Amino acid sequence: MDYILEVNNLRKEFKNFTLDDISFNLEPGFIMGFIGPNGAGKSTTIKLIMNLLKKNGGEIKVFGKDNIKYEKEIKDRIGFVYDENYYYEDLTINQMKSIVASFYSKWDDNQFSGYIKEFDLNPKAKIKTLSKGMKMKFSLAIALSHNADLIIMDEPTSGLDPVFRREILDILYNIIQDDSKSIFFSTHITTDLEKIADYITFINKGKIVFSKPKDEVLENFVIVKGGTDLLNRDTRKEFIGLRETKVGFEGLVDNKDKVNKIFGSKVLIEKASLEDIMVYSVRG
Amino acid sequence: MIGIIKRDLTIMFSSKQEILFMIFYVPFLILIIEFYEPKWLYFALLVFYTYILSITSFSYDVSGKSKYVLNSLPINAKEIVLYKYLSIFVYFAITIVYIGVYLWIINALKIKTVDYFNLEMMAKALPVIMISTSIVFPAYFRFEPKIAQIVHMIVFMSIFIGLTNLDSVGANSLVYNMRFLQGAKGLLLVIGLYILSLILSMKFYQNRDL
Repeated sequence: MDYILEVNNLRKEFKNFTLDDISFNLEPGFIMGFIGPNGAGKSTTIKLIMNLLKKNGGEIKVFGKDNIKYEKEIKDRIGFVYDENYYYEDLTINQMKSIVASFYSKWDDNQFSGYIKEFDLNPKAKIKTLSKGMKMKFSLAIALSHNADLIIMDEPTSGLDPVFRREILDILYNIIQDDSKSIFFSTHITTDLEKIADYITFINKGKIVFSKPKDEVLENFVIVKGGTDLLNRDTRKEFIGLRETKVGFEGLVDNKDKVNKIFGSKVLIEKASLEDIMVYSVRG
Repeated sequence: MIGIIKRDLTIMFSSKQEILFMIFYVPFLILIIEFYEPKWLYFALLVFYTYILSITSFSYDVSGKSKYVLNSLPINAKEIVLYKYLSIFVYFAITIVYIGVYLWIINALKIKTVDYFNLEMMAKALPVIMISTSIVFPAYFRFEPKIAQIVHMIVFMSIFIGLTNLDSVGANSLVYNMRFLQGAKGLLLVIGLYILSLILSMKFYQNRDL
């Protein structure tokens, strides 16, 4: 199968943190949500894909090509949005656009003007005068105006209000209506992903916990609630994460059928949200 | 190449501080350095302005997080380094025009008699600029901004002291006597150093985490 993004056994070592043996794939026409707590390795992975950090091992292929060997060609087809504004604060939107545009082979000025109008941005405004939401809109307009086939976003919705977050999600959803385009989207606001993601890749402490279709994840992971008397050494082993109180327990499992077999009707089984999965997996 | 230069110049002239600096640095140097020959003032301004223009563009990329934007665009590390090294010749040309016009006005208004176009001084200034940037550029591509700025300050002060020394001792000064930079051998030496510095910077930047 042709993947738009392939990460195989990726490794990056820092003094106090190691990204260890990361592997996942993204097919064209899909949105992959990349979730994990702060410091899990999401931004590091994205920086490695963009060759902003140098890997210690493994392989990254974008559009089937090595991300370092074909760096320029690949980046011409990638739209990027980072968690902070990395654009030059003293420049106006138009000045910054004209700098960025000169690097891309397929820059579309009409498309950019369309987004600027849609996002209600003043092209003559200096970047430093924009609010966080407006800066994000500007980054998004840049990322979407050169016919990119892969949009890479690092926490694009963090710190934004729900109205604008929904606006971004709608735009992203429209982008992938074109089957050849994909979006790789890191976030810790998991509710955003429940709306639009097709695949979820969960990273924790520098390791991939899982990389699966979202529906499969939401189907298999369940929250089990019951009395503490049901817990013993063997049953505890079934839980990925467990929270006990005086009156009972709540735990996350990834095999609904097995839970049914063990506990039968003595427990209450609820659907787990991505947030539940993340929180229980991280806490243990 | 054009993209990088365009970016550098747009950023540079978007800041009021930079514009004021560009305007007032010429009279400042004329005031503080009394050269015994007008051509040496021209030489000093060529060296200072080209050097400052070349280094200022770095400060945006190394001190701020805007380096992430540049390096996420369709351009690779080797090209970024190569363009930076080639850009000094563009800055040199810009300086010749800017300083030429500025000093011509000073001459025309009879404020001071100064050279505003001197090929001999251009030929002497370019090797000094190339040597200075050959030392400073690899530091910016290899080290953290703080360390690179120390290297920059050392080189900058050396140029400044060298030129002041030129003012006070004239024909006996170091800059005046830089005979090793003259002639074909000197030119080859400077070009060799510049290329070596370029290769070193490419290696540094390609392997550096941003």
